[in-house]
Amino acid sequence: MPEMIKESKSKKILSIIGKAAVYLIMGIFAFMTLYPIFWLIMNSFKTTREFQVSQLALPKSPTLQNYVGAWQIGDFSLLFPNSILYTLGATVGIIFLSLLAGFAFAKLKSKATKPIYNSFIMGILLTTQTLMIPLFLEVNLLGIYNTRFAVLLVYIGAGLPIGIYLSTEYIRAIPSAVVESARIDGAGFFRIFLSIIVPMSVPVATTLAILNITNTWNEFALINILVSKTELKSLPLGIYKFSGSLSSDYGKQFAALTIGMVPMLAFYIIFRKQITKGVAAGAIKG
Amino acid sequence: MSSTLSAPFWGVFMTYSSKSYIEEKRAYWAMILPAFTIYLLVMAFPIVLSIVLSVSNYSGGKMFGGEKWGFAGFDAYLRVFRDPWFWNALKNNIYIVLVSVFGQLPLGFIFAYFIYARIVKAPEFWQGVLYVPNIISVIVVGLLWQTIFSPHGPIAEVINSIRVREFQNQVRGIFNAAGGFSLSDDVIQKILDLVGPSGQAIFSDPLIDLRDLLSSFHGEPIEEVYNALGNLFVQKWSPTFLTKSNIAMLPILFVILWMYTGMYLILFLANMQKIDVQIVESARIDGANEGQVMRYIILPALSGTIVNAAILAISGSLSSFALVFAMTGGGPSRVTEILSIYMYNNAFLGRPNFPLANAISLIMVLISFGLILLTKAVEKRYGGKEE
Repeated sequence: MPEMIKESKSKKILSIIGKAAVYLIMGIFAFMTLYPIFWLIMNSFKTTREFQVSQLALPKSPTLQNYVGAWQIGDFSLLFPNSILYTLGATVGIIFLSLLAGFAFAKLKSKATKPIYNSFIMGILLTTQTLMIPLFLEVNLLGIYNTRFAVLLVYIGAGLPIGIYLSTEYIRAIPSAVVESARIDGAGFFRIFLSIIVPMSVPVATTLAILNITNTWNEFALINILVSKTELKSLPLGIYKFSGSLSSDYGKQFAALTIGMVPMLAFYIIFRKQITKGVAAGAIKG
Repeated sequence: MSSTLSAPFWGVFMTYSSKSYIEEKRAYWAMILPAFTIYLLVMAFPIVLSIVLSVSNYSGGKMFGGEKWGFAGFDAYLRVFRDPWFWNALKNNIYIVLVSVFGQLPLGFIFAYFIYARIVKAPEFWQGVLYVPNIISVIVVGLLWQTIFSPHGPIAEVINSIRVREFQNQVRGIFNAAGGFSLSDDVIQKILDLVGPSGQAIFSDPLIDLRDLLSSFHGEPIEEVYNALGNLFVQKWSPTFLTKSNIAMLPILFVILWMYTGMYLILFLANMQKIDVQIVESARIDGANEGQVMRYIILPALSGTIVNAAILAISGSLSSFALVFAMTGGGPSRVTEILSIYMYNNAFLGRPNFPLANAISLIMVLISFGLILLTKAVEKRYGGKEE
């Protein structure tokens, strides 16, 4: 008997140590996330001089001066509307075109479906960033360098493979009888799409919106080669401005980083459940 | 009777059916073509263009009607393979792939399991917080960590304040041993011994100068003396994480590990939660321990997800750009260049070399596909029991 008690006791101690280790490791990861964000926001309210003297203490007399300066230097009053336009435009475009093509792939009969659908699936494996040099040359060749059109075109193209995959799989699960009975009632395919398929596809559209809103809002590599005019740039490009010669003006740099971070953070706090679900559903390759 | 009736009847049916057939075809292409055209423009055409340009001598400017250009053989590829910087960039990408596949994935899996098996409390908190880095712009993350690792970051501040405090405690010990603030030879000499020759070097005559300095604090709080001595003698430590060429890659890999682990956590956890609870519970009732549940239920159920995650990690790591671009820009002296930055610099820095940049682009596409096929092959060989 005492032997057994001893064993269970040592097991208990082991499991306590194990638990402590688990909390420690996960705690380090959480700390590495929360503290830098706190540190950044806190220091964005200090003047650069105060920051250089003390980086860890709370600001003595919080100032908004950095935000005013960063907003002007970064031209954020131009870039903010651009980011919203690109994000909404690309997201709506991807959802609409994906559902449309997904409906055709899933419910309309054609021999073309197999090769075309498979070519989209192949595209899931390709990352558009690898193609940024030929894309830059192509956009120049077509004469659409430095246009919003090119940005939206590339963003939509980059989002289509996963969008079409998820939409097609989703619409396939809708019973064909729904479509057939509407056909017998004399409805055309576009009416069926708009009045039956779109309302039924809200869940997959939500997933696509979640995936594309965060991706597009934060995108840097592609828009970096697609536009050079300030009035066409998006927020990440404006924030990157604060990395070069401006990087020693810490107060303004931190304000700019906070401006870049807060919208998505707010979006995440509001839609955390949906985002988590969307990521799990969208993380499909091949 | 029946034949006269059936002819028009079938005729009506045929025209209806063929009309419907044509309508379906038309609708099909009207629905597919917008997406397919954009897809071809953004994915297929650039690949074709990069194949053509990588074997050409195109050097910028108008592609048609400008300077003439044509076939130039496979020089660009040879130059890429002979360039030591290509191999350097490839090596860095491989580091990133390794950190992703053997760091993010297992950690994400383990964290997910801790949450799934309720080994940690507050599952929502851990999920919510560990995913945050994925939601923030990579540019913001890159610049933030660049500052954190810089001499003006919190790491330097913490280390330096610890050093100062330690020094001040030693000075305090000297004064305490002498019974309080004192300017005796013994105290002065002890402080000079403490700061060592490098500290003494700031004085022309250490004994006299230090005494003068200390006596100027007469009547002021003793903390002022400690602060002044701390500022004067403690050498500020300047971190060189991102500026020393032999270690500059480590902070980048560290940030990459921290950044994406949360994404795999979410992915694995969502799939663990799909497993039928009854299966796990009945296995536990039958006496299976934690390890057996993992080996015989959870791992097989997630093998498909793990392969998907590995593919995601590989293609993501090979094409990553913005994080390194923001953190180091490939520096110091090119050691942290990754393939995408190596390609970018060849196209946009100095004299553009478009054949070379396009060759790199194609090589990246091929490596990506190669590794993904490899992962699939591994899955076929060892996994794929579930269907």
